[in-house]
Amino acid sequence: MRPEEQQHGSSASTNQELVLSSLELDQLAAVKKRPIPRRHLRGFEKFVLWSLRIYVLFMIAVVIYQVLAGAH
Amino acid sequence: MRQGKRITTSLASPTDAATGSGETETSSEQTSPTTSSAQPLTTDVVITHEDIDRAHDRERVFAARACRGILSKFRLLWLLVGPGILVMLGENDGPSMLSYAATGSRFGIGFFLPFVVLTFVMALIVQEMTVRLASATHRGHAELIFDRFGPFWGWFSMIDLGIGNFLTLITEFIAIRAGLGFFGVPPWLAILGALAVLYLALVTHRYWTWERITLAAAAFNLVFVPVALLARPHWSAVGHALITWTPLPGGLTQGTLLILLSNIGATVTPWMLFFQQSATVDKGLTKRDVRFGRIDTALGAALAATAAIATIVATAPLFAHHMSAENFQAAEFAQALEPVIGRFGAALFALGIVEAGMVACITISTSSAYAFGEVAHRPHSLNLPLHQGKSFYLVLFLCASAAGAIVLIPGLPLVYVVLVVNVIAVLAMPPALVFLFMLANDREIMGDLVTPPLVNVLASGVVIFLTVAGVLFGISVVAPNLFAFIAGK
Repeated sequence: MRPEEQQHGSSASTNQELVLSSLELDQLAAVKKRPIPRRHLRGFEKFVLWSLRIYVLFMIAVVIYQVLAGAH
Repeated sequence: MRQGKRITTSLASPTDAATGSGETETSSEQTSPTTSSAQPLTTDVVITHEDIDRAHDRERVFAARACRGILSKFRLLWLLVGPGILVMLGENDGPSMLSYAATGSRFGIGFFLPFVVLTFVMALIVQEMTVRLASATHRGHAELIFDRFGPFWGWFSMIDLGIGNFLTLITEFIAIRAGLGFFGVPPWLAILGALAVLYLALVTHRYWTWERITLAAAAFNLVFVPVALLARPHWSAVGHALITWTPLPGGLTQGTLLILLSNIGATVTPWMLFFQQSATVDKGLTKRDVRFGRIDTALGAALAATAAIATIVATAPLFAHHMSAENFQAAEFAQALEPVIGRFGAALFALGIVEAGMVACITISTSSAYAFGEVAHRPHSLNLPLHQGKSFYLVLFLCASAAGAIVLIPGLPLVYVVLVVNVIAVLAMPPALVFLFMLANDREIMGDLVTPPLVNVLASGVVIFLTVAGVLFGISVVAPNLFAFIAGK
């Protein structure tokens, strides 16, 4: 192994030790790619989410109406 | 620089990690990463440049924590603050400061000083949840919504965020353009200059450096305090306003409701949730750091509330002199204030508006880039070198450039756009808060950091308050007579 390769290998090893000693496992970028298990939404939760979705769409329509009315 | 390390581990799912059941050991075995999370997993884990940078930051935190004494505590605080102050001062953005200025000049200080304090208390309650979520799961907000509730609800919240962020970015460039207009800088040069600053903040490719540069810029938000002092306020009147909360001048009308919503939208908006959670993850905070995350957020809220109050106090003389400021932009506010606070004070005011727009431009475009990376499963960190984070930096810069270009369209009703954007931010907030509320109460991912009952009560109050404010606005537009009846007119 050439000296620069040895140096690179040593630096890589130091970095690995640093990362493994300083970060929690689920802080690693590679581990974070794994999705979190999905949760089941209950009836009431779906009702609240749908209500708020309709609320937002309705209110956006109100804002657009207000903007158009203001423009005229 | 990429260095591979194969780690065999009982790769805890975040659910397990929250309850502390993950364990790590080094081995050369490898099995499928699609194995059920309940079983021990083995997989290749590649240690990236992002991990190494974050590990260096964490090393400094460990070193500070290991030392005793008050100075070490301050050093630890210095190392751990950032996302909370940035998000709060970032939300004291161009339109927010213009909204506070419009408030002071149209209504004085009586009603709105305590109201602004209330809005920052609301912001503190909801932003604290993002600190706990980030520390418990090490995942961004968009990622958690997608994973936990599925792509259907995930895309809805992403569309809300994307539209809201883009519209808000436009208003930040409006503020920068208007503020620099006071000094005679042409609009195209103002926009190009802002994009150059945004680019410079990113070239370090290091979260820590980016955070410190942006914090230094954000601290300039407090320039509104000397501007307020130059206006020689009656301190007894300010103190009286803060503790007595006088009624809204002129009562509740459509105009005052718009200003109320604008003030709420100046403090509590969806991008703040996404930004603080992602930035806290990028910074690498863990469960042990939650206390400091809370201090960071409270400190940010206090600083931002101070700047907001100072802006209202600074422009209150316009109210006292009955000057109409309904259609003022930053330059006009600064010019109108010149007889009261002098040329130097007016220049500080204009610079403050530029800073407010600039910092928000950086934080909001970063929030969009984080969210995009999280849902597209692309690398998303300010620790990424350019070649590893191409999509992250591209989204960030493209969003800002497109928003900047729109501001250069001649004849755009800039002041109206600013008010409407703040109103849209308020309207989009209740669904975003409900997702936050559900995630922060999800014991499977939060473990011990699940939201305590008192915070749940307060957060529910914030959701109800924002929804009622939005509904009242809708009624005032669609059925003005009904609104007048509700308002007792």
